[in-house]
Amino acid sequence: MALSIPYLLTIIIFLPLLGAAVVMFAPGDRTKKWLALATTLVTFAVSLLLWTNWQQGEAGMQFVEDAVWFAPLGIRYALGVDGISLFLVLLTTLLMPIAVYFSILYVDKRIGPYMALMLLLETAMIGVFLALDLVLFFVFFEASLIPMYFLIGEWGGQNRVYAAVKFFLYTFAGSALMVVAILIVYFSTGTFDIVALQSTPMPVAVQTWAFLAFSLAFAVKTPLFPFHTWLPDAHVQAPTAGSIILAGVLLKMGTYGFLRLAMPIFPQAAQQFGPLLATLAIVGILYGALVALMQKDLKALVAYSSVAHLGYVMLGVIAMNAQGVSGSVLQMVNHGLSTGALFLLVGLLYERRHTRMLDDFGGLWASVPVYTGLFLVVAMSSAGLPGLNGFVGEFAIMLGAYNYMPIFAVLAAAGVILAAWYLLTAFRKMAQGEITNPANDKQHLKDLNLKELVMVVPLVILFFVIGLFPNLFFDKINPSVEAMLETRTVLLQQGAAAQMPSLELAEIVVTEAK
Amino acid sequence: MNSAALALNLNAVLPELVMVVAAAIVMLLDIPNRRGRAPTKAWLPWVALAGVLVTGAVSIWLLGQPVTSFQGMAIHDERAQALNLVVLTGAALSILLSVRYIPTVNQQTGEYYTLLLLVSTGMMAMGSATDLMVVFLALETFSLGLYILAGLSRKSLRSNEAAMKYFLLGAFASAFFVYGAAFVYGATGSTRFDLIAVTLFDGKADLPLLYIGVTMLIAGFGFKVSLVPFHMWTPDVYQGSPTPVTAFMSIGTKAAAFAAFYRFFAFALPTEQATWGWALAILAVLTMTLGNLVALRQSSLKRLLAYSSIAHAGYILVGLATATPAGIDGALFYLISYAFMNMGAFAVVILLERQGEMDADGERLKGLSRRHPQLALIMSIFMFSLAGVPPFAGFFAKFFVFAAAVEGGWSWLAAIAMLNSAIGAWYYLRIVVDMYFAEPADAAQIEPQQVSLPLTITLGVAAVFTIALGVLPSLWTGLVQSGVVSTLALR
Amino acid sequence: MVPTSYYLILSAIIFTIGAVGVLSRRSALIIIMCVEMMLNSVNLTLIAFARQWDNLNGQVFVFIVMAVAAAEVAVGLAILIAHFNLSKTTNIDDVNVMKW
Repeated sequence: MALSIPYLLTIIIFLPLLGAAVVMFAPGDRTKKWLALATTLVTFAVSLLLWTNWQQGEAGMQFVEDAVWFAPLGIRYALGVDGISLFLVLLTTLLMPIAVYFSILYVDKRIGPYMALMLLLETAMIGVFLALDLVLFFVFFEASLIPMYFLIGEWGGQNRVYAAVKFFLYTFAGSALMVVAILIVYFSTGTFDIVALQSTPMPVAVQTWAFLAFSLAFAVKTPLFPFHTWLPDAHVQAPTAGSIILAGVLLKMGTYGFLRLAMPIFPQAAQQFGPLLATLAIVGILYGALVALMQKDLKALVAYSSVAHLGYVMLGVIAMNAQGVSGSVLQMVNHGLSTGALFLLVGLLYERRHTRMLDDFGGLWASVPVYTGLFLVVAMSSAGLPGLNGFVGEFAIMLGAYNYMPIFAVLAAAGVILAAWYLLTAFRKMAQGEITNPANDKQHLKDLNLKELVMVVPLVILFFVIGLFPNLFFDKINPSVEAMLETRTVLLQQGAAAQMPSLELAEIVVTEAK
Repeated sequence: MNSAALALNLNAVLPELVMVVAAAIVMLLDIPNRRGRAPTKAWLPWVALAGVLVTGAVSIWLLGQPVTSFQGMAIHDERAQALNLVVLTGAALSILLSVRYIPTVNQQTGEYYTLLLLVSTGMMAMGSATDLMVVFLALETFSLGLYILAGLSRKSLRSNEAAMKYFLLGAFASAFFVYGAAFVYGATGSTRFDLIAVTLFDGKADLPLLYIGVTMLIAGFGFKVSLVPFHMWTPDVYQGSPTPVTAFMSIGTKAAAFAAFYRFFAFALPTEQATWGWALAILAVLTMTLGNLVALRQSSLKRLLAYSSIAHAGYILVGLATATPAGIDGALFYLISYAFMNMGAFAVVILLERQGEMDADGERLKGLSRRHPQLALIMSIFMFSLAGVPPFAGFFAKFFVFAAAVEGGWSWLAAIAMLNSAIGAWYYLRIVVDMYFAEPADAAQIEPQQVSLPLTITLGVAAVFTIALGVLPSLWTGLVQSGVVSTLALR
Repeated sequence: MVPTSYYLILSAIIFTIGAVGVLSRRSALIIIMCVEMMLNSVNLTLIAFARQWDNLNGQVFVFIVMAVAAAEVAVGLAILIAHFNLSKTTNIDDVNVMKW
């Protein structure tokens, strides 16, 4: 058992950072490109050690690292991974080489900074999923803004600067109050430790304020309706690799934040605001689906479908029961894979035709069958066809939602139908019918070549693996989820028994401080 | 009064003494530089820098051996040394910025470096003063020097105007300050902070008189750190002064005045905390909000940094309003972080200036990343740090100060401050947008006469410490708090 | 004996005259004189308090204020002259190259 690999998590986090430094100083664009790819592949390989050395059935944190970071405030450099974060880390390290490889094929502009920023982003994202200290979490959470901001602003589409600034300011403003909330939590409990906080009771007033502040930050990031307006802009303008990472991983930081922090740390407040959040999630599902239905731009369609899909994830998280949460965790991965693949395919088409408008296509079945076939599989995965990955996650979430409040499950089911509708409509416009535009015929449009298949096929294989053998994943997810829910139940009972008098927030903080 | 109290422990003013000696040496060295012959002129900045570094070494050596001397009129504890280090950082970096710059605006570089060192002395004395008379003396020592430095470029109308405005408003504010000090003396019978506190504690003080006096003192301090509504001079003086002077002013004055501010309130008025805590909190809110909102509309880079410095004064004041040791240490961390990131930003402004212009328009940043990618990268670090984005020093600066606020029961103040920093992010980000995403303006070329090794060193040092303090904040707190048991230690 | 409050009222009046002068007069020279007047009223206040408390702190403070005031005038007049050489005016309404 090689469980004792020292500093494994630190290595996974900072390998890309090291790679970024090397890439910056490496000579020649080709070298830079391949160094970046090598870094992401090595990171992926190292992160697989998490899987191979996993202690099956263990619910708590594994591979834990803990060191003092800033003693006076008890800030720690604490890392750990459990069933909830494991697959998000693996998702990140898997999507990165794909995104980087895509960029190698299609990005030529200022490749050095581009690759360095991608790698910086990877460090920040993995850090978010592995941090066990609130401050450390927040540092990574915010640090991810800078590289993404530059990626959109420099390598994006027509309206990129606007989109980049909007992305940055929305998320930065959203998380501003979270800093204060983190501090309030610290001074009423005396710790930044995320695991310890999950079993630490807090006065209801503190919970309420802190929950609202945390929720705002994560709702903007997720994005939850009505905080989603930055997302379509950012997605449509971002370069393809940026979109893959944005949809595949960055958005998960929001839902992960809800799941890891907001819901379990403030159980009473979460219970209180649960129906409200669930309603927003449902509105997001339906709204995202309806708007996606009307999109003419394929990339915007996928972007809005993300709003809808993350609504499901949120619904499972809010339900806070075993099926819902486990389903959400798996669905985060599913969404990362299938939406990542969708953006990838849209990007590949865009590189060929330099348009993403659905009206410009038609009859692609005949000209590029391999591409179209893969697109269909990916779209079906995204729509939740049984046998593919999307179905497993969504089904578990529905079960969870039904156990929470049946009405939400019913409404969410309507969303599934809408999802099938807009994806199939898009597919029909793209693939079926006559070839109306000569640019789409066999002579002009090349099918996927081997280099491109290398990126898409692993994702598609994973769709089937998850869809057919979900227990491979649930086995690792479930123990952690159940343990978390158990701790939460205990905390809720304690809270109900104690019936903390609802003091004014300021008073509590003052007394706690003394 | 026993003889021990009369015995002078010179350690209490050792850094200041070293600095004065350094200033005297610079002055003496400058004597042969007359009428075209300038045998020692090239040495002056380096001698001055050596003086600053020696003073810094002395300050670090004195850490952990707190001393009170001059019959309780001066104290040298960890906070005083920390303040010294902030001021010295500003002085050292600004000397490096001056090497190439100052000869272009004034040939009398000997006077410049002498004054710079003497101004630093005054600022350091502010941090160790525990008597209103000493505070007043120190305040005037550095203010008078800064009036002259602001007007250093005698051929530039702007520089003269800056000096004039700074002097007239500064003298006016000083009059209020000293009138306030007189009232505090009248209310308590002493100018020494500890004796004032004793009188207050015994209930013998004349409270109405005291409040009038304290209000005027706040106005005087507020002027120096440019709190709203005493900030009117800031943009003009920042814009008109030679840029290294502006950079030094933005850091040194703030640090010195905040240090004295803190000493007065914490040592002399501990019993009145509830009253003045609220006053400072309201001033803090006004200051940061107005600073940030007006900064949104600036085109001149120096005016933008002036308003940004007003906003930062507001954040720092949050730490003082809490009046806890954590708040003070947070404010000190803020000051040292601010020293590095702001110094760096001003160094970039110098590079963008044209000969004799002493200011740069924001337009000139456009497309900077195309022509000078390294410079744009470094400027982005400063901007993100000023905005408070991790992993740069500015984030932990805000975090520590606001942590103290939350701990002291001022959560609402911390929340307002955080929202403000989100507003601030807008204009810092605009600079980054201009540098990276805007079409290059013709003006985006650097004037080569300002590119020099000392300036490059300044940029490098500032950038390295902006990152280092953001990743390892204990570099600073470990240094200055060795010996102090923080009240925030793990419970 | 004249009560302390009389001195305080007198010095407050002088201080106010000085402050109003600073705010209303347009000549930089007169403004400097008004500031001096404010400082002198402070001196009067300090002496009055020193007598009331029967200690020397106030008296010492007065010396410091006088010394500082002298230095301030020296610096102030130098700045004024330098500015006058360039702009040929001492009217502060003309000190407006930069917006206030």
